[in-house]
Amino acid sequence: MTPLDTLYLASAATLAAMLVLGDWRRAGVLATLMYGVQLALLFTMQRTGSTSFDLSALGFELSWRFDALSWFFAVVTLGTAFFASWYGAGEWLRAYTGRRRLFQSALAANVFAMLLLLGSGDLLTLFVGWEATSWAGFLLMALAGGLARDAALRYLVYAMAGAMALLGALVVLFQAGGSFSYEAARATLAAMAPGPLWALIILFGLGFGAKLALLPLHLWQAAAYSETPAPGSVFLGGVVGRMGLFALALVLVGLIGIPHLQALAVPFTFLTAQDVVAWVAALTVVLPTYTALKQNDARYLLAWHGIGQGGYMLLGLIVGSALGSAGGLLHVINYAATQATLLMVVFGVRHRVGHTDLNRLGGLVARMPLSFLALLLGIISLAGLPPMSGFVSKWMVYSSLIQDGRPFLFLAAIVGTLGTILSVYKLIHNLFLGQLRAEHEQLNEAPLSMLIPMLATATLAFVTGVAPGLVLGWVADAQAAIGLPVIDYTLGGIASPRASLDMLWVVGVMFAGFGVGALLFYGAGGKTHRVHQLDNYAGGHFLDAGMRYHYSDNFYAGLMHLIGGWYRGSFHWLEGAIGSGLSLVAQGAGGWYRAINPAFYLLAASVALIAWVAL
Amino acid sequence: MTSLSDIPVIQTPPEAPARGGNPLANVFDDFIRYCRSRSLFMLHYCTGCGAIELPPAMTSRFDMERIGIQPMVTPRQADILLVTGYVSVKTLKRIILTYEQMASPKYVIGICSCTVNGGMYWQSYATAKKLNDYLPVDLYIAGCMPRPEAVIEGLKALRDNIEAGTSDNWKDYYQRYDHYLGNQQRLFGADWQTPTEVIAEAKHYGLFGPDTLGEHTRRLEDHRKPLEPLRMTLNAGRLEHME
Repeated sequence: MTPLDTLYLASAATLAAMLVLGDWRRAGVLATLMYGVQLALLFTMQRTGSTSFDLSALGFELSWRFDALSWFFAVVTLGTAFFASWYGAGEWLRAYTGRRRLFQSALAANVFAMLLLLGSGDLLTLFVGWEATSWAGFLLMALAGGLARDAALRYLVYAMAGAMALLGALVVLFQAGGSFSYEAARATLAAMAPGPLWALIILFGLGFGAKLALLPLHLWQAAAYSETPAPGSVFLGGVVGRMGLFALALVLVGLIGIPHLQALAVPFTFLTAQDVVAWVAALTVVLPTYTALKQNDARYLLAWHGIGQGGYMLLGLIVGSALGSAGGLLHVINYAATQATLLMVVFGVRHRVGHTDLNRLGGLVARMPLSFLALLLGIISLAGLPPMSGFVSKWMVYSSLIQDGRPFLFLAAIVGTLGTILSVYKLIHNLFLGQLRAEHEQLNEAPLSMLIPMLATATLAFVTGVAPGLVLGWVADAQAAIGLPVIDYTLGGIASPRASLDMLWVVGVMFAGFGVGALLFYGAGGKTHRVHQLDNYAGGHFLDAGMRYHYSDNFYAGLMHLIGGWYRGSFHWLEGAIGSGLSLVAQGAGGWYRAINPAFYLLAASVALIAWVAL
Repeated sequence: MTSLSDIPVIQTPPEAPARGGNPLANVFDDFIRYCRSRSLFMLHYCTGCGAIELPPAMTSRFDMERIGIQPMVTPRQADILLVTGYVSVKTLKRIILTYEQMASPKYVIGICSCTVNGGMYWQSYATAKKLNDYLPVDLYIAGCMPRPEAVIEGLKALRDNIEAGTSDNWKDYYQRYDHYLGNQQRLFGADWQTPTEVIAEAKHYGLFGPDTLGEHTRRLEDHRKPLEPLRMTLNAGRLEHME
């Protein structure tokens, strides 16, 4: 039995255990331990590859194997599952009123399906894994009912449309090459004419882009991820969307190859396929990030950022240089730690307060200081500032864009980061800073079972920010696995004559600066003085507890005055128009079907089927 | 109530130390004062028509930033409180609140005749006549209204006073708090209070004097509801329960 077999067995055992024992009081603890075991098994496995079982059905071979890319994404998946499950193992589970067995099983099913997807050894297996992941994701998204069900159904429409596109792409590829194996596909794609190749890129893009929520397929994600119960939302937000990136890396980079994309021109323009994908990624960075800026629910704000951050990953990956693709892949793991931290904090607040409405919170730092610390580290990382890990991966993406001579894409990435900084400030301000409401005076800090995982992921994001070399090795192996140039890394970052980064120095100098400041302040006898929150300046007004001066509604009024006109809801309009068009066609077809004798159609269809089977 | 002796008079700078003393004895204090006088943030509490002369004083024509003074939006970071005109009783409460929220060292400038003696509102029942009855004013810039040149001159004078170490009326507010509080209570009534703990701050700065406390502060203690700072805590609910 290979190590991969053991991993799959462990994952399947987790699913089975949750199906049987999901209602048990300690099911969360058991699940966490089992995810921990899976993670440990993964670490004992060789990074560069392991194979598992083959099976053949209907004359096709299905095979599962792990390479370094799969291993990298599997680490992120299992790590996120481990912490998300831990988060939901204690007090959260006791307070959870939904169906526990269903929830625990859905989470385990997601992990198992994603591991199957990551281990796919040929295109057919990839499709099987893709479908399994989509349906498992739907289960997790839908189980809360109500708004969640509506959001999940919307997701399902996108996922199924994507799956159909993917199936179409596979059929085209199989027709051309006669095999589903990666090697055959690589050879077929290399020899393919531009027309069919474009069709394939678009079909694959639609299929995988729906999961990654690339523009314009992004509308479903925020609601579907936000309305899920807390650990599920952490898991979905942290890693599930990244399966789209995994598949795109596998197909666009691994099978088609960056040089081929560069050589494939868009007819009648100066653009290449690489430019098109890069611009889709850049728009995915900018537009959803500014949509996040307008959200008034902390969960939705973070979920919209999830879409935008996916754009950074694809942007870095598609640049294709050692630096850029390493940045894009590194951002997957950095972002997972960051987003998991942020969502855990937000759901911790929800656990205590009962809602995450940014207009009805504030001042919680005095009551939930450790959550505040975790959120602070998280937003620094999400905004891409040192000393957190988000800085490293974003810096790599920026540098690669500059080195590659793409100033406008660089500008788009910077504009996206600006939106991120603005909206994460809104997040921390409206949640934790400002005036504590009277009804929140008696609030407790989030329970320990929720605090430990959020602080752990925040610490991970910090440690991998100070010493990115700890995880850059995994990234380098993943790059090698899909034929990209491999990054030259050190413990502190990147050693390259054109762009080098040593986070050990950056963080050292940064903290030395704080140290000098503290030394000056305290050395000169500086004393701090705490005042009551109503001892505050509001143009000279005397404040009392009945007066709200925590400014949260219409937060960036001045900015919105400038850019508010740009929010036109075009994508909602597009989605609505396509939906209405389809519904019109369906109504017409239905009417036509009903108007003429339905029995005749049934008979004709049956005869045709029998003829096809018989012949 | 209005005797000239109440108005603080700028004292002459202390005599230079006699020759033969250590020339470097005060060099550090001098340096601190120099730095302090060259970087002043100003909170302008614009109450009356004097405010109209501030935009030209701030902007490019007269440009007060060339002497290191620029506006600040909150009292917590401000050094100068600029009161620019007549002070109604209602406004005075706000000015006192704002002043008490400023961190020491802090300086008050009264602009226009109205802050000196009520000006053309002398007969009004609703205005405070002399600002320095209620706050320790460092400098008055008289005029109705003073032109930007006069404003700049006044600010330069304040700068020089700070550098010379003669502008420390803010200490007077702590040392003679009872006197100022008495005047405030006479105007606003006996139940007047601000959220700031001036007496505690006087102890904090080491400026607690014999006149800090008196009959008026005793009256304050009778009705005052102190505002405790929010404590940072992990289990507020449980603590409340135990109490």
